[in-house]
Amino acid sequence: MAAKLVVARLAGPRLFPLRLLPFSTAAVAADPAPIPHNSSAADDPDPVTVKGVKISGRPLYLDMQATTPVDPRVLDAMLPFYLSRYGNPHSRTHLYGWESEAAVEAARAQVAAAINASPKEVFFTSGATESNNISVKGVMHFYRDKKRHVVTTQTEHKCVLDSCRHLQQEGFEVTYLPVGKDGILDLDRLADSIRPDTGLVSVMAVNNEIGVVQPIEEIGRICLEKGVFFHTDAAQALGKIPIDVDKVNISLMSLSGHKIYGPKGVGALYLRRRPRVRVEPQMNGGGQERGIRSGTVPTPLVVGMGAACELSMREMEYDGRRIAALQERLLNGIRAKLDGVVVNGSVERRYAGNLNLSFAYVEGESLLMGLKEVAVSSGSACTSASLEPSYVLRALGVEEDMAHTSIRFGIGRFTTEAEIDRAVELTVKQVKKLREMSPLYEMVKEGIDIKNIQWAQH
Amino acid sequence: MSGAVPSRAEVLSLFRSLLRTAARFTDYNIREYARRRAIDGFRQRRGLSDPSSVAAAFSDGKSQLEIARRQAVVYSVYAPRVKSVMEVKTV
Repeated sequence: MAAKLVVARLAGPRLFPLRLLPFSTAAVAADPAPIPHNSSAADDPDPVTVKGVKISGRPLYLDMQATTPVDPRVLDAMLPFYLSRYGNPHSRTHLYGWESEAAVEAARAQVAAAINASPKEVFFTSGATESNNISVKGVMHFYRDKKRHVVTTQTEHKCVLDSCRHLQQEGFEVTYLPVGKDGILDLDRLADSIRPDTGLVSVMAVNNEIGVVQPIEEIGRICLEKGVFFHTDAAQALGKIPIDVDKVNISLMSLSGHKIYGPKGVGALYLRRRPRVRVEPQMNGGGQERGIRSGTVPTPLVVGMGAACELSMREMEYDGRRIAALQERLLNGIRAKLDGVVVNGSVERRYAGNLNLSFAYVEGESLLMGLKEVAVSSGSACTSASLEPSYVLRALGVEEDMAHTSIRFGIGRFTTEAEIDRAVELTVKQVKKLREMSPLYEMVKEGIDIKNIQWAQH
Repeated sequence: MSGAVPSRAEVLSLFRSLLRTAARFTDYNIREYARRRAIDGFRQRRGLSDPSSVAAAFSDGKSQLEIARRQAVVYSVYAPRVKSVMEVKTV
């Protein structure tokens, strides 16, 4: 049944918000419970109830490493391809196909320009996870006769580690390099671990959990000297730090759309042509994307990713400056009112938009439950099925109790100063409240060293 | 597309239109960003004197205005029922 659309005249300064009856039940079901009819909006302070938690409005979003909102300029570029220009880019016989293909190639050029590559070296995938899978498994499978060894780090993204484990089950050897307390790789250890039969070195550029920036220029130089392919997962790095595939000698690179204010469900893979990097495809089919990744290329998503890449190049300096200032404001604001705050990961070699903090003498899950008006992520996995602390923090040597209380604040293009101030206020309030209730904190204040207590056995 | 060099009145009119369109966004973060970016963008280009770069900046601004106008409509049509916590007045 057709919805009645009231067409508002765009007269005067105020635009009447149009209320469109939703077609899709999924959209309605996903909307959090609205205000019940018998209570007026004015006196109900908590209109949103989800999972037993009542909050007064949509939380302020500080989880940019998990995903980013789509920039309105990106959405504007994508919409025509959902509305009228809906052709399949592989249709060769009509206008719909031709215009769709032209859009895909234009987007490919935009992505290539962002990393200083040729468009012929960029392949679209469904996301950085798929690109990582193709990079790790695809390269090693192609060169399986001569190359049997992979070098990576302990702090890589789960998809890289899981692909490496899969290779181990097939009989390949994998070296997982440890990182220092600041999260940075030891370059000498890396150089020593490369063998004549090493096929791939995989090190991510910016870590998603702690935000440290690995020295990819030096790593690229070492790999060039030793003649090994260098793969980097640049999902969190694209558009935030400058990436030049020639300067850094990158052979393969994974990119993600939804970390740079683009749509979810799209990513890209960079494959160097000189010297040529060959991969065995993980998705077989009609040979799209030069046989590297079969399947219809999703034009609107790809156009969105291209627009997001171009935008990020233009805005990188402006955003970078703002986000660095906001990070300082956040850290100083919290440190001014609280002690026992530890930054996880190097403070100098870090991307400013990622601040991972541990609060001593506070339990992580209760802290998160109290921060219901701020959308943040925890560094430990206590919000997931297992109770194990995050493997990244464990690789840093962070102790269990500190790992459990870690919070990751993600600052982005759309974060405002008022949001940072509110987040500081809420975090400080919640940590103080929990510490007041904590007997351990009382003992610490009295000067007792809790590490040396002899707990009596009853 | 490079047009003619805009007059001072035209530049000011573009600036005001951008700010007015920014105010129409129903999303708190986008609204603040659009306003801030317009102000910072104009402030940054204040010193431009070369006519071709002034014309290029002006036409860039006009296309951004068109994008903002369209997106303000889209965002308002799909505005969620519940506003951001930053917009809710605390007692």
